[in-house]
Amino acid sequence: MKIKKKDVVLTIMIWSCAVMTLMILSGIIGYILINGLPHMSLSFLTSGYSAVKGGSKGVLPMIINTLYIVIISLILAVPLCLCGAIYMTQYARQGRIVHAIRFATEVLSGIPSIIFGLFGYAVFVVLFQLKLSILSGSLTMMICILPIIMRTTEESLLSVPSMYKEAGLALGAGKLRVTMGIVLPNALPGILTGIILAMGRIVGETAALLFTVGVSGNFFPKGDNILDATFGHVFEQGNTLALHLYNSAMNGKDPVSVPFATAAVLILLIFILNRLADLIYRRLNRFGGK
Amino acid sequence: MIADITDKIPQSHSDGSKSNCQIKLRKRRIEVIIKYLVPFVTLVSLMTLGLPFIRIDLGTKSVELSAVMVLIANIRVSLEYLLVFPLLLRFLIIASSVLLLAAGVTSFVLKKHVLASAFSISAMLFQIIASIFSSEISKSLVSNGIGRPEVSMRYGWVLFLILTVILSLSILAQEGLEKAAEQVFKFTALISVGIVVTMTVYMFAYGTPAIAEIGLSEFLFGQEWRPTAGEPKFGILHMILATLFGCVGAIAIGVPVGLFTAVFLAEVAPKRIGDIIRPAVDLLAGIPSVIYGFIGMKILVPFLREIGVKLGFNTTGSGLAAVIIVLAVMILPTIVRVTETTLRSVPRSYTEAALALGNTKISTIFSVQIPAARSGILAGVILGVGRAIGETMAVIMVAGNIVKFPTLFSSVRPMTAGIAFEMGYAEAGLHRQSLFGIGLVLFVFIMIVNISFSYISKKGGFTGEN
Repeated sequence: MKIKKKDVVLTIMIWSCAVMTLMILSGIIGYILINGLPHMSLSFLTSGYSAVKGGSKGVLPMIINTLYIVIISLILAVPLCLCGAIYMTQYARQGRIVHAIRFATEVLSGIPSIIFGLFGYAVFVVLFQLKLSILSGSLTMMICILPIIMRTTEESLLSVPSMYKEAGLALGAGKLRVTMGIVLPNALPGILTGIILAMGRIVGETAALLFTVGVSGNFFPKGDNILDATFGHVFEQGNTLALHLYNSAMNGKDPVSVPFATAAVLILLIFILNRLADLIYRRLNRFGGK
Repeated sequence: MIADITDKIPQSHSDGSKSNCQIKLRKRRIEVIIKYLVPFVTLVSLMTLGLPFIRIDLGTKSVELSAVMVLIANIRVSLEYLLVFPLLLRFLIIASSVLLLAAGVTSFVLKKHVLASAFSISAMLFQIIASIFSSEISKSLVSNGIGRPEVSMRYGWVLFLILTVILSLSILAQEGLEKAAEQVFKFTALISVGIVVTMTVYMFAYGTPAIAEIGLSEFLFGQEWRPTAGEPKFGILHMILATLFGCVGAIAIGVPVGLFTAVFLAEVAPKRIGDIIRPAVDLLAGIPSVIYGFIGMKILVPFLREIGVKLGFNTTGSGLAAVIIVLAVMILPTIVRVTETTLRSVPRSYTEAALALGNTKISTIFSVQIPAARSGILAGVILGVGRAIGETMAVIMVAGNIVKFPTLFSSVRPMTAGIAFEMGYAEAGLHRQSLFGIGLVLFVFIMIVNISFSYISKKGGFTGEN
């Protein structure tokens, strides 16, 4: 009888903890969306920002800068991770090198973003003299997302059945050809999932960008050539959405609707990316993965 | 040289297998070309040192300095100014150039072409050294009031690019596509190792000067942090304590909740409810930390202020309690995920044996499965500790940012918040260096956490066994 009472208590605790987790999430999302969505108008999304009171408070520059950083750091990181993961899964034999690489990626994924920020500041901003710029921010973010993409890519490469490879090799194809022609295409959905997860990380990142990208780049781009004006500022400062949320929440000069609406944009972006990753993983990944 | 080799090729094949011989000949030619080409390229990349990489505008005329000039003599920019550069820097550049050259030539003699090309590629190092060097020069120029120097390394980078292309082509020709591809893959895989090593080196290189100047025990155990005062004090004990207390509190709240949720997901949940909660946990992990901080600022802090005032504290609401709660929520997904995976990997036979002995399902979970999965759970907790120690943005927004001894309702400033908060206004000099010192302390903490994590996760769990 005593044991049963304990069981009941534990069951109640288990259920209440699970419900609590769910409630925390729905509370966060609900609170942000209820307070933010009414202010997230079309003009908010398509106009520039000025720090003066009563000025235009749009977030278009931040959206462009965020996009910029996402694209540049993915361009830098994806080839590296692909090649690295291919080596780890297709070529490497167990040994010291593999251990070192695995340990390094593990360590990298555990390092907090503020350390990446300090490192990026010391190396890219000061040493390489890139100044506070979108480029130094992207380089820093490249290091941040390296372990994420590497791990998911490795997993999805491993999940391709070895039958496929063996069939290719038996037909006389070389290892490189089998890897590029058979293994990689079949692992593509898993790799895409990893890339989308990395995008989510970049969109939400603040601490690593705080002193590598700078916070004053929230001007609305001007120039003769519209393309150049919008995308021609790799070497200049660029405020991202997450940084903008931090600044406008902390300095208190903007009306409170600005951080709420920015947070709503961020949450929606993260939610969409998360769903997309899930969808791709479920629909396209034939081998199930790990 | 090529004619030489042509003579050496035996003529006996000329009748039957002429085409075979021609192929061989071509191969030898390519080999010879590569043998001389790569050292040549190495030399050229070394010569990039000789390219002008700093230009000084002196109003009417401009002076271009090359690194070699700087190496050989002190420079007389104008009649009044003599630039003197540290001996150590010169020694560094000369020593590394000689070493790299020697290593490259040796590996060619030993016919290790890939290694040799790696050495040639590391000639890129010179660009980095040169950039350190040139920033040193610019500093001394500016401090002498001569003028703003303009540093250009453009030629060097272009040369490095060309070098890489030539080298990869030569490896391709030498080793064939398959092998070359393997080398390229290996090289890129090693980049992450390189990054970790560089990071460690840089954190120590930038962090130690301040700690050395302040004194290790004064820095770690000093109770006063007044970096901008007339007589500055740099003691970070209260920041370290705030980080530790926040972390311990977050673990104390987050681990039980996470553990129960994981048990729910792994064993108790009906499939449909599990399918709702699992993505929810994933999404919780994906929410940016600024948003946690923002919500903490908007909901948690006013709430805690009310409670604190009711309990008789003089508080604004932001402080250790808020930090603990925000961190507990943030480490929840990490702990849930890791624990769930480990619980699922406990062999079925354990549970079945316990059930067969007449245990109820719940008591089996708590007396068999959780003890069996304990090392995996511990690994999850350690991962959570790492995340709690390193969290910055959420903490900075609810901590209140006053450096003093942390109590539950007083404003605190953990280490991460200290760095992020003060980087914005810290002047170059001891203040900024001391922030890198805090970064180093944080880095050491995280490394300890990381290493113990990989030790425990390697040792424990059932992953891979069944």
